Amino acid sequence: MKHRMLVLMVALSITVFAVAQGTDRYRITYETEPKTLNYFYLIDNTSQRVAANTQDHLVENDRFGRFVPALAERWTTNENATVWTFYLRKGVKWVDDKGKPTEYEVTADDFYEGFRYVADPKNGIKNFGSIRSLLVGLADYYKGLQDVDSGKDKNRTRQQVLDTFKTVGIRVIDKYTIEYTTAKPTPWFLTYLTMDLFFPVEKAFMDKVGAENFGTAKDKLIFSGCYYISDWQRDKLIVLKRNENYWDKKNVFIKEITMQKVSDPAIALQMFQRGELSSAGLNADQVKGLQNTKWKDYIYMTDRSSVTFWWALNFQSKNPEFAAFVKNLNFRKALYYGIDHVKLLSLDDPLSPQNLLRTTIIPEEVIFDEKGKDYTDYPGLKEFKNAGNTYNPKLATEYFMKAVAELTDGKGNIKGVAAQAVDLKPVAQFNIDGKLPLQILIIHSTSSSDTKFALLMQAMFKDVFGPENVEVVLGQYVDDQYDEVIAPQKFDMAYDSFRFAYGDPLAQLGRLVTGGAVNDGGWSDPEFDALVAEADKKIKLSDRYAIFAKAEAMILDRVYIIPFRCGGSAYAIGNVVPYTYPRSGFGVTRFKYKGMKLESKPLLASRVEEIRRQFYADLEKLQGK
Amino acid sequence: MGKYILRRFWQSIITVLIVLFVMFMLLRLMPKENYFTRDDYINMTEEDRTAYLRNLGVLDNPLVQFVRFLRGFVTGDLGRSITVYPKTPISEILKEKIPYSLWFGLVSVLLSVILGFLMGIGMANNKDKLGDQLGTMYVVAVRAIPSLVYLFLIQMWITHLFNLPMVFYEDEPASWILPAISLSLSGIAWYAIWLRRFMVDEENKDYIKFAIAKGLPRNYIMKRHVLRNALVPLVQYLPSQILLTIAGSLIIESIYSIPGMGGLLVYAIRQQDNTLVQALVCIYSILGVFGVFLGDILMAIVDPRIKLTSAKIEREVTA
Repeated sequence: MKHRMLVLMVALSITVFAVAQGTDRYRITYETEPKTLNYFYLIDNTSQRVAANTQDHLVENDRFGRFVPALAERWTTNENATVWTFYLRKGVKWVDDKGKPTEYEVTADDFYEGFRYVADPKNGIKNFGSIRSLLVGLADYYKGLQDVDSGKDKNRTRQQVLDTFKTVGIRVIDKYTIEYTTAKPTPWFLTYLTMDLFFPVEKAFMDKVGAENFGTAKDKLIFSGCYYISDWQRDKLIVLKRNENYWDKKNVFIKEITMQKVSDPAIALQMFQRGELSSAGLNADQVKGLQNTKWKDYIYMTDRSSVTFWWALNFQSKNPEFAAFVKNLNFRKALYYGIDHVKLLSLDDPLSPQNLLRTTIIPEEVIFDEKGKDYTDYPGLKEFKNAGNTYNPKLATEYFMKAVAELTDGKGNIKGVAAQAVDLKPVAQFNIDGKLPLQILIIHSTSSSDTKFALLMQAMFKDVFGPENVEVVLGQYVDDQYDEVIAPQKFDMAYDSFRFAYGDPLAQLGRLVTGGAVNDGGWSDPEFDALVAEADKKIKLSDRYAIFAKAEAMILDRVYIIPFRCGGSAYAIGNVVPYTYPRSGFGVTRFKYKGMKLESKPLLASRVEEIRRQFYADLEKLQGK
Repeated sequence: MGKYILRRFWQSIITVLIVLFVMFMLLRLMPKENYFTRDDYINMTEEDRTAYLRNLGVLDNPLVQFVRFLRGFVTGDLGRSITVYPKTPISEILKEKIPYSLWFGLVSVLLSVILGFLMGIGMANNKDKLGDQLGTMYVVAVRAIPSLVYLFLIQMWITHLFNLPMVFYEDEPASWILPAISLSLSGIAWYAIWLRRFMVDEENKDYIKFAIAKGLPRNYIMKRHVLRNALVPLVQYLPSQILLTIAGSLIIESIYSIPGMGGLLVYAIRQQDNTLVQALVCIYSILGVFGVFLGDILMAIVDPRIKLTSAKIEREVTA
């Protein structure tokens, strides 16, 4: 009896999985659990995916990356691109977590209230800094609230300041028309609109559930996007179902998206191979492991993304030896030429690591001037873009020896540095002697890939500079690099990745100025700050880009940071037909599954390549090339 | 008996209160920054932070806070998570997660007890024979090999062999089998080896030798005397094991993607979520203390020789 029961259960499971693969159900995995579903707090990839698919913006990107209407059916702008007016679709209803239309209609007020929520410092919206100066009066309004909250401004009440929101450049013209007035001409304004900061919110619903509860559960949200959240089990799964009342339902082909949390990428691959998933990302070890299997022919590579990884050098280092060296340009040049990035990247992509290389801060093929010229092709910057792998051990050693000559007394003693203990607990703790070898603290996470990466750096520096000159100390963080390492300045070298928030070089360069949000190393160069300020005053794109490119080339030349890798360009395998869904270098619409098509079987890599060729041919036609 | 239960009950209550008090006061020594999410902390002014902390009540006299905490705990108000699931009521989190851990935990205890007892009896009955040696091998393997290794192998190979799902799906019963079995592997080994040990000990006692000499059948001796006495020390732990199933399993829940309680306390500590840590430690302490209390009572029921009401409590057998 027992035996028969077991056979029955096995048979049942076989049946379940035989029918699991359909073309209207997309099954994927995720590793980071969203802390909240409040779509104004997108701090991880999972919550970005959920928000992008369950909430719509005024505009979105199509599969070629063009801005197309979404909740706004059309828009206009004035001649100098300072006033942007959006005309909303009528009759679009918010739906609940059962997919049923609510009594609330999506109106201009929802975008107004959403922005009011974002512009209140009490709500602690993380990316607000990116848009602080975007709209007329916004920076003053925000500062006004900060001053009242801090007690600096005792003459006004908080409510009085809140009442001045009408002075901010956002205005409801009528129920279906909203207007934004930017502080300066902003032809790239649409690229801002796909950021999480521009989602709508139905204030009556938020008031009903309480602002504090908004997004803490699926029934504490309503949805304006092509999907709604039908299930959210913390640390287990998120299920999105197609919004049958969606204004553009005919272009949403997948009826259900199941996101399953797994603890290990190895499990995801196994699940895919057994038909439990529609697609899976692959790491280097998995790619190697699949080389002699039938799956080899199915592995393809995704496109490069606009995310850029760079090394931050800590100019505020608490390690006196590194602090003395990092301020020296020759030493920084030695680092620039001393890192074999292709070798490092081969840990991620053993077959074609050079595909991952990116040596500029602003990504290529993302922003173009009025003549269609790529920003990264501007004079000065183009040389860095085309530099490829800058590894040159001979040059690195020459620069290092120059730095040594300038910073030591000729007997290996580093000037002004005494022997002492460097206490950076819990990340690292070591002793320095104020002599060569120079000790450099490189930080990595506890993941095996990061650890391998750091160990390779350690070995590389030993080879290039010699153990008598440089000794790499490795430090680890457990959870959050920013909290544990960057904010308390417990590193000499660390790398991080940064997404390109909106379509202007200011999105990255503006955050790298003195005290900027992504200036992790705390360096300061008044010349760079001045160039960024000067560029930001220019309206004509070619003038603007020329100065930004000069500023970017300058900091690359002075080696304050070392960009080395792009995001994306990862190995994958799956049933997804590429280039059927939105494509964009900014915001969250690139995470949308609207338009995505699935096939019943995994796609061969050769077929993906064919689709890719066709896509780029179509794109070139569209761009008139 | 009733008197004893009442006395042990009050002792347990006092123990729980002491544990809660110590834990609560220790958490009050933690930095106040732990009451903020990182973004909140960065965005708030010093005045905002003070107002926020005052609002939370953590600036009040610690004794007042403790009484308030107990009152909230009794009424089911455990506060809200700060950093793990910001602003979500802890009772909601527990309501979602406990059923998974409890269900798998109870099944695993049941499997452990049934299979562990059967295995232990079999090993004792076949002492030094092949069956005993195979059983010992299993116990040693489960104890000596890091659990992650064999659990991962089970997940990879057994699921492949029987075409079972790799991870747990609530609506697919086939996916429940492996996590439940995996969860009981060490429990089976634990019950088997201890029961074997106690039974072998009993078998060597004089009264058993006397019973054998009297010519009583071996099966009768084993069932009525050896097994019964050998079970006494083991049943003491049963209530604790059952109650603490709600704590879940860090590894198994993680590899099979079961959204239970396993790892929640560790994660809360790592994320410095004071209110969540506080609530979880309280729950686990209460369950632990009452598990011991129930174990004592159960032991007394199983073994009438234990005189509970006497001033000098004698225990014939201790684990």
